[in-house]
Amino acid sequence: MHRNEIPPGTLHLLILRTLARSGEMHGYEIANPVQQISDDVLQVEEGSLYPALQPMLIKGWVTAKWGTTAGNRRARYYQLTPAGRKQLDAEMSQFERVIGAITRVIEAV
Amino acid sequence: MDWLRELARRLSMLVYRRQFDADLEEEVRLHLELRQQEQFESGMTANEAWAAARRRLGNATYLKEESRIAWGWEWLENLAQDVRYGARVLRKSPGFTAVAILTLALGIGANTAIFSVINGVLLSPLPYKNPKQLVVIKEHDSLPNVMDIQRQTRAFSQGGGINVEKMDYIGATEPVQVRVGLINAGFLETLGVQPILGRIISPGEDVQGGPRLAMVSNHFWQNCLGSDPHAGGTTIQLGGNSYTVIGVMPASFAPPAEHADVFVSLWVGDPGAAAERDVHIMHTYWRLKKGVTLAQAQADMAAIDRRLAEQYPADEKERKSQLVALQEWLVGDVRSALLVLFGAVGLVLLIACANFASLLMVRAVAGRQELVIRAALGAGRGRLIRKTLTESALLSVLGGAAGLLFARWGTSMLLALRPEKLARLSGIHMDTRVLLFVLVVSVLTGIVFGMAPVWIAARADVAEALKESGRSTTASTMGQNLRKILVISELAVALVLLVGAGLLIKGFSRLRSMNPGFHSANVMTMYVQLPATRYGEIPKQTQFRRELLSRLNSLPGVQAAMVTDIPLGGNYVGHRFVIDGRPPVAVGGEPEVQTLSVMGSYFHVMQIPLRAGREFTPLDRERQPLVAIVNEEMVREFFPHENPIGVRIRWAGGTEPPQWMTVIGVVGDVKHSGLNQPTDPAVYTPFSQNDEAWRRFMTLAIRARDASPGLVEEVKKQIWSLDGQIPVGDVHTMDELIAVSLAQERFNMLLLGLFAALALILAAVGIYGAMAYAVNQRRHEIGIRTALGAQRRDVLRLVLRDGAKIALFGIASGIAGALALTRLMASLLFEVKPTDPATFAGVAILLALVVLAACYVPARRAMHLDPMVALRYE
Repeated sequence: MHRNEIPPGTLHLLILRTLARSGEMHGYEIANPVQQISDDVLQVEEGSLYPALQPMLIKGWVTAKWGTTAGNRRARYYQLTPAGRKQLDAEMSQFERVIGAITRVIEAV
Repeated sequence: MDWLRELARRLSMLVYRRQFDADLEEEVRLHLELRQQEQFESGMTANEAWAAARRRLGNATYLKEESRIAWGWEWLENLAQDVRYGARVLRKSPGFTAVAILTLALGIGANTAIFSVINGVLLSPLPYKNPKQLVVIKEHDSLPNVMDIQRQTRAFSQGGGINVEKMDYIGATEPVQVRVGLINAGFLETLGVQPILGRIISPGEDVQGGPRLAMVSNHFWQNCLGSDPHAGGTTIQLGGNSYTVIGVMPASFAPPAEHADVFVSLWVGDPGAAAERDVHIMHTYWRLKKGVTLAQAQADMAAIDRRLAEQYPADEKERKSQLVALQEWLVGDVRSALLVLFGAVGLVLLIACANFASLLMVRAVAGRQELVIRAALGAGRGRLIRKTLTESALLSVLGGAAGLLFARWGTSMLLALRPEKLARLSGIHMDTRVLLFVLVVSVLTGIVFGMAPVWIAARADVAEALKESGRSTTASTMGQNLRKILVISELAVALVLLVGAGLLIKGFSRLRSMNPGFHSANVMTMYVQLPATRYGEIPKQTQFRRELLSRLNSLPGVQAAMVTDIPLGGNYVGHRFVIDGRPPVAVGGEPEVQTLSVMGSYFHVMQIPLRAGREFTPLDRERQPLVAIVNEEMVREFFPHENPIGVRIRWAGGTEPPQWMTVIGVVGDVKHSGLNQPTDPAVYTPFSQNDEAWRRFMTLAIRARDASPGLVEEVKKQIWSLDGQIPVGDVHTMDELIAVSLAQERFNMLLLGLFAALALILAAVGIYGAMAYAVNQRRHEIGIRTALGAQRRDVLRLVLRDGAKIALFGIASGIAGALALTRLMASLLFEVKPTDPATFAGVAILLALVVLAACYVPARRAMHLDPMVALRYE
């Protein structure tokens, strides 16, 4: 299966954005919308979500705690902290600036 | 503060990392199972669904690994793994491990022991307030001069002096001599000492006829006053007078160069000596004003000296006060010795390190195969180097730890051996600085000398090495050369140390065989001082002396005499004198000689030979013509061309009419101030013709067939039967006094000898290792040679030639090094040149023999090699 690799750094943004939208989620739940919403254009190895979560945990942007799923299974739920929300805003505006700039360049050509 | 919380999170992960792994594991499993279920529901079979789930997840092991690495503890885990692995490897070859650790432990231990002495003596500040400002005047001075300097100085903010005298203290079980520091106001203030109880004397009390006040040392307070917190106000009996205790000194306080049990004002304790300008008895200490340099103070002092010389030409004409920084004055003599020892022990460490490196290299060559395979399997070069370094560092840290044990033992040995000059400086112990020193030395050793095998590892060319399958390759040949260089340097360094030790031993044996001028065997000495209160007049002193000697000489097998100051006892009195009939010399410019009063057959007891004339007889006594006996040095210096017998001399500046003494005899020279010191001209006079009432002291010299402890008790009994309140102190045999006077030289010699022996052993082990390894490497070659008809003799020659080449290079470079280095120790040598050819030759031969012996064992093994076995080996 051919994958469109996502630009480096965007995975962070996607995770933060997903968490911001839905409150508490476990890993599998985070992985799904990323691909569904992007119509499977953005293909990520689902597992890379886990290494990507570690720096966020270290920085304190997200917290994790164990809970139970609807199917009554133990799962680790991640939640955005206020610091994480701030980080998301910063990354969003940064992202928009870059995308905006790229778009302008492309349209000008 | 964010980074702190972040660190806390990272640390908590480190602590709970097993939980972390389990959590991650569970999380990933859940993920896989949920995905599988979803795929299954969309119509796949269970197996297909599982495979799809795994494909979508990616490499689970890799992901978990990456997640863990994100927390930043990878290095620690690698290190722990390397250490565990290293420890396992070391445990598996206990012989190698033991030799490596022992080698390092010896080197590091010896270094640490010497460093703790240097740390205590040279590096630690003196225990006084702002010790850098303190200076000392090298020459003794009199109180009137000290007071003049205190008044006139523009360089010193404070100053004062001390003279320690023995006085009898009544109050203990038997009368004892205590050391009384006779001080003037300013002495304690200058050193900045605060009493722990009470106060120190004020300037107003430090005057002629002042109150009898005493400040006691902590030691005296504990032992004689029972640590009484209300000791202030109690009285103690010193030298026949009552003194009121007004203060107790802290335990950490002692005067810079001497011990004192009690401190009293010199004006009060010895008013006679205090008033005399020409009684130079005080050690004086001064504190430089802020911003004043030693040179400026010296210039100021010279000006004061000039004024005093003009004002008091009779006593102070030749004044020349030399200022020295206190620290330098205290450690000056031992500094050069300690630095030489530190240098020597550093060389020992170098040898140990060379051995260590070469041991590691043997292993590295042997273990190269393993490294190569690891490299082939994809281990990064950095990781491999780290693994090897970890092993070396592990060894060196273990070596350092073991070295610390050696050092503890070595330091206590040093303290037991230490000469008097070091004994005064307590504070020799392991402190953080010493521990830091050990840590740095051992880790550096591990890393620097652990690099050798790493270097070999780094050169490992995978394909090449696998192909050659362990035969000698470029890398191991280079290792072989490096090892040869190491062994050569070891031999060279060992030779330098051996030469140094050899020179010291030779100097010491010269010193030892110096004729002290007397015969020390079976002579016991004791110091007795008569209290001024009851023996102030000379006739009373003479009566006591005469009675005591007659009682002692009536003991069976005992021959007793007395002298003011015993040779090698550290003291003597000097007087200026005038020779009858010579052109007059300016007042104050007369020559000075050592003066000694004797009673009894002193020259017989000490077996000092009579060279001319006659000895004193009991008839040479008070109210008889004054007589004197001189030593040979006196004759050489002052009567080179005439017969001194019958010449008249007198002390300079005496009373009218002049008291002429007739020289009646000449005795042999005595090394009064030390075996390595020149003999001073000396004049002996009978005690009974003494006209100086302050000479109330005497040293008994007693020759007895058996100098048992019973004799000391017997002598004390005789003294106390005459006067029960006279303490007896400084009980030593003459042999002990000689030993003490040689202590510093013995210390230097023993230590350097020990280091040289260590160096020799380490170097022998080194060359043995190198040869044994070389023979092992050449087994194949030797086997072929033997198979082709080489005789055992040829094989022996083959191996020994290698050894001889190494020895020759080592000894040659060692001699060059020794020639360059031994000059540094010239000041420690007694009548031996630093380039003494006999020592150099002897040491070179010794080292050559040791190398030969070290080569012989592997050479024998090579000789008896069975060619079949050797050829089959590979």
